[in-house]
Amino acid sequence: MRRRGLQGWLYVAPALGLTGVFFLWPLAMVAWISAHNWPLIGRPRWIGWRNYVAAFDDDVFLDAIRFTVAYAAIITPVLFVVAFGLALLANVERRGVGVFRTVWFLPTSIGISTASVLWVWMLNGDVGVFTTILNALGLVHGPVPYLDSSMAATAAASSMVVWKTAGFTMILLLVGLQGIPRELHEAARIDGASYWQDFRHITLPLMRRTLRLALMLSVTGSLLVFDPFYVITRGGPQNGTISIVYWIYNSAFVSFRVGYAAALALLLLAVVLAVNLVQLVLLREPDDA
Amino acid sequence: MNTIRKSVLGWAALASIWSGGANATEISMWARATTEAYSTAMVKAFNDTHADKVRLNLIPNEQFVAKVGTAIAGGSAPDLMSIDLIYLPIFARGEQLADITAQAHTLPFYDSLSKSHLRLSTYDNKLYGLPYSAEASFLMYDKSLFRRAGLDPEAPPKSWAEIQADAEKIAALGNGVYGFYFPGNTAGTNVFTFLPLIWAAGGDILSADGSTATLTSPAVAAALGFYRAMWAAKVIPPSSRNDGAENTIATPASGKVGMWLGGAYTITGVRRLSPNMELGATFLPGEKPGQWASFAGGDSIAIPRGSKQPGIAWDFIRWTFSPEVQVGILAHNNALPVRTDLAKNEYSEKNPLYLVAAEAMAKGRTPYSFVYNDLLNSPQGPFLRMLQRAVFDGDVPGAVAEAQKRFQQIIDTGN
Repeated sequence: MRRRGLQGWLYVAPALGLTGVFFLWPLAMVAWISAHNWPLIGRPRWIGWRNYVAAFDDDVFLDAIRFTVAYAAIITPVLFVVAFGLALLANVERRGVGVFRTVWFLPTSIGISTASVLWVWMLNGDVGVFTTILNALGLVHGPVPYLDSSMAATAAASSMVVWKTAGFTMILLLVGLQGIPRELHEAARIDGASYWQDFRHITLPLMRRTLRLALMLSVTGSLLVFDPFYVITRGGPQNGTISIVYWIYNSAFVSFRVGYAAALALLLLAVVLAVNLVQLVLLREPDDA
Repeated sequence: MNTIRKSVLGWAALASIWSGGANATEISMWARATTEAYSTAMVKAFNDTHADKVRLNLIPNEQFVAKVGTAIAGGSAPDLMSIDLIYLPIFARGEQLADITAQAHTLPFYDSLSKSHLRLSTYDNKLYGLPYSAEASFLMYDKSLFRRAGLDPEAPPKSWAEIQADAEKIAALGNGVYGFYFPGNTAGTNVFTFLPLIWAAGGDILSADGSTATLTSPAVAAALGFYRAMWAAKVIPPSSRNDGAENTIATPASGKVGMWLGGAYTITGVRRLSPNMELGATFLPGEKPGQWASFAGGDSIAIPRGSKQPGIAWDFIRWTFSPEVQVGILAHNNALPVRTDLAKNEYSEKNPLYLVAAEAMAKGRTPYSFVYNDLLNSPQGPFLRMLQRAVFDGDVPGAVAEAQKRFQQIIDTGN
């Protein structure tokens, strides 16, 4: 028995070691730094909890939380509807479906910053491709200010994210769809179920695990959003599109307050953990408990 | 890695044989990417004429402070570095730089070095850096548009009212031609070009030591009101509002705007895109005729604490002030000399626009602040917000009041 225990530890040792070195140790370092006034240039000074207290006095940080949560709440359903639609279309066995899947999956292979830079130029009000198309269709005349208001800028950046990530979510959902035994659908059809009844009572319930995974990935990704707002909107106009990670980056590398940024990062970690726990509880399947 | 080290050692060995067996040493120098043209030329010229060698490492602008900060903290500081002059106060206060007061005063031309660079390199009465490269802001204009609008191309505006009057005449040409251009969604470029308007009119945004925000000085509201009036009169292109400095060269070079504010880099850039454009340049005026000011930008060169070769680093610094470098490399590469006694040279003679830039630089000013980034440079900072709120939303008093409050808060947390 003892021997078996030791053996078990040996088996998990590499994984534990990696987690320790690459996650737990850095996490402990971040916690240590967060308890200091730690300038990027100069000497750190121990200040205990004061960075955490300051965070709740920081209007930009509080706005960033509101903005990021709203962004996650809006983009997640949009992304799901688009990706689910694509997955249903891609699930049909027909000629050319491979091309369809590939085309929608391709944006996933581009780095998110690269994609953002691409969209900066496509969204250029004067010479961007969207402006050219809208003008050619006669819908507008002259330049279009896509990033003029917070709403417009958020919509522009979100469109990029949907374009960029819908393909990946589509593949996840497609795997779930294909994991449903064909006989179930066939049996339902024989019993006279319509397409929607089949979708509602067979497809959706059996996709629960897949949906849960995709939802957690999407929500976590949205809470950690940085590149689109850093590259496309630069947090503007008038600070209307600053996400939490953007503000952490700013605190560390614009304001040079590394200790404060570390404190914000730990607060964000707590938020992400909490949100995921809530999701796990809400989406728990009856037999999971 | 090993091969690189071997080859470096190999070259070093070769170099020592070359220099007659003297002990040649290689030192490392870091500079931001903006300085590439002349930094590369300088290091090459130094290495060609000296036994000791300098190895240049160019770092992207946005990453510079983070890289240097981490390197010094980790004990792998470069032996020498050139830094955006605005960061000198932070580095000096953070005890990251070597005190070079004594050596600097041995330079015979010390008094003709850029005053603003020296002021920003001074902390606690000690000098931590010397000017390395310089920029200055001034007013530029398109002479052919002046002529077409019935204005005298040799008599550029000398006050804000004249700028606005000329801009309105040029905008009246129509066909997508506008009178004045500035990028409305970028902090850095506007700090460089807008603060001099305030200074020229006798105001300032900070006290001399940077400890107090002084945005309530009337010149601040007046300068904002001047931009606002031009925006309201539609003499500024509508695309200015979202311009994050992508078009600071392209828009002037398009021949569709009469006047804009820029630096020596703007002359070079516009000339590259439109070689035939007739460019004019004059000092950046204040509210009343006769007033003018400029922002002195550029880099300062400093020896980090932890430099293993401060002696050779100093040799390099001293050598950069020689006429061969100031004129032969800086002016030759369309950059400004940091020695004001060398502002007039063979290149500025051929190209008098650069002389305007050099004279502007000699009288240029730079804000001294430990929270420069937060106040001025950050796209999320209160300076850009004030400018946008005043110019595009039209609320000058509200914008100033909000900025004054935010400035002081940031200064108080950062000091």
